[in-house]
Amino acid sequence: GESGYAQNGDFDDAELDDYPFSCYSQLEVDGSQHLLSCTFDDPDVNSTNLEFEICGALLDVKCLTFNKMQEMYFIRTKKFLLIGDSEICAKLKGKKITCRKMNVVKIVKPEAPFDIRVIYREGANDFLVTFNTSHLQKKYVKELLHEVAYRQEKHENDWMHVNLSSTKLALLQRKLQPDAMYEIKIRSIPNHDYFEGFWSEWSPSFHFRTPEITGRMDP
Amino acid sequence: YNFTDCDFEKIRKKYQEVIYQALNKYMNGVKSTEFNNYIYCEDPPDCLAKIDLITFYPTHGCTTLAKEIFAVRTNATLTLQCPGYSGTQINNTQAKKKRKKRQVTTNKCLEQVSHLMELWRRFSRIS
Amino acid sequence: ASGDAGQEPVLQVRIINFNFETVQVTWSPRRYSGTNLTFVYKLSSAEASRPCCNYIVHEGHTAGCLLEARKDEILCFSLGNGTDILFRKCEWISAYLKPSSPEQLSFRWHEDAVTVTCSDLPYKRLLYEIQYKSIFDTEWQSKEGETCNVTMQGLDSEKCYFFRARVKTLESSYGSDTYPSDWSKVTHQQRGELRDSCQGKKLFPKFIL
Repeated sequence: GESGYAQNGDFDDAELDDYPFSCYSQLEVDGSQHLLSCTFDDPDVNSTNLEFEICGALLDVKCLTFNKMQEMYFIRTKKFLLIGDSEICAKLKGKKITCRKMNVVKIVKPEAPFDIRVIYREGANDFLVTFNTSHLQKKYVKELLHEVAYRQEKHENDWMHVNLSSTKLALLQRKLQPDAMYEIKIRSIPNHDYFEGFWSEWSPSFHFRTPEITGRMDP
Repeated sequence: YNFTDCDFEKIRKKYQEVIYQALNKYMNGVKSTEFNNYIYCEDPPDCLAKIDLITFYPTHGCTTLAKEIFAVRTNATLTLQCPGYSGTQINNTQAKKKRKKRQVTTNKCLEQVSHLMELWRRFSRIS
Repeated sequence: ASGDAGQEPVLQVRIINFNFETVQVTWSPRRYSGTNLTFVYKLSSAEASRPCCNYIVHEGHTAGCLLEARKDEILCFSLGNGTDILFRKCEWISAYLKPSSPEQLSFRWHEDAVTVTCSDLPYKRLLYEIQYKSIFDTEWQSKEGETCNVTMQGLDSEKCYFFRARVKTLESSYGSDTYPSDWSKVTHQQRGELRDSCQGKKLFPKFIL
């Protein structure tokens, strides 16, 4: 489980709580290299002298120090054991000020789907939606749940949602408005009991127009 | 150590999700059925005992398995899921040096790891 | 399967474990064609070795042996020409498993999804693969489950669909030398009901929007 606790007593409780942070992992994001990213929950935290460190459940080493880019702290490594909990700590001038126990396989944020295509199939009276995901080629996080969201462009918040585990879906013409402009986007989340985590970013949106009402409906 | 009280389901899950990939990577395409001898294990505790023996106790002709990634993951798994299992204390820096120095995976080690794969497969089929 | 690692095998041997009911070992002698080879085997659960009692004969010579093997165990066997042992091998018979095909698929439709079920085989670490397509689809779409209870979403119950199923083994549990089961016979479904076939006009996609 995830629990935050202070590591040493130099700071009083009030100060310790000022540095809550969140992390996510992306496995095999670059070949067999993984990525772990952490940010402070409060964007206004002055992070000048603040560092992050991860210890435990690592191969060959006891701890690793994060790199920093603007407000994002990150590590690119192959050294995740992928078994058991690690301890991730925010440190101020070398002193641990906030620590959280995290398991890298339970905070996985998949890469966003891409290459959305929509094909109108007149005979089938449907729109065949296909897309791609880099996770099909991975060794570890292979099983994802995808959420397809689509809306008529002029109806701002009227999103319809379909969840599926494959990368192909048929939207039925009879469930859409004729001669209308639609937007569609997709995101993914781990769909497994070992690798768990968060929704990916949304894919780039794809826009398509439904044809006007023409011939009769095929049986 | 008696492996009877281990959480076999969790061990199987960790084997299937992260240990198996490391074993496969070590074998690097060499098939375990290419070795003409075999190894038997009766039930999950027996399988784990033989996996522990082959993984962490050097044999003639193959002394380095304990430092491999699959072994470190096996050690972490057994330490987590087997009450009282003390696990092998692998000196991390030594592990890295040793792995760098190992030029060629000996045929004896490939044979040992092919036995490990057979034992893990058997374990996953029966637990 | 082949002889000692690395050496050119004198015999090409093939093993198929039919659903943990019957194991078939066949051989094709490279240098011993025209010779009646004898097959002697021992299963790890058996007390002693025994000669084959159910040979497969091809062009008047022994070419294989059918033996009963109902457990996940090790088969050790040898092939000889009466004076010399030409081939010797020990293997887990699970490494060459070919599961039996799924039977009696049942379908439960709910809106645009269908759950296909069938009876699970009595051993573990299998993948039940269901394939489906409508008459408008050029390729089968696949969905797998660790039990024979697989749900497919995003279907149009108005359309007529083809369904078929097979069983595969998990490589991490059986290795890479197993065989997928044969496909079940194809079933047709439309509007939640069984159909004898899927007839109907088939139009190809007109354009990408």
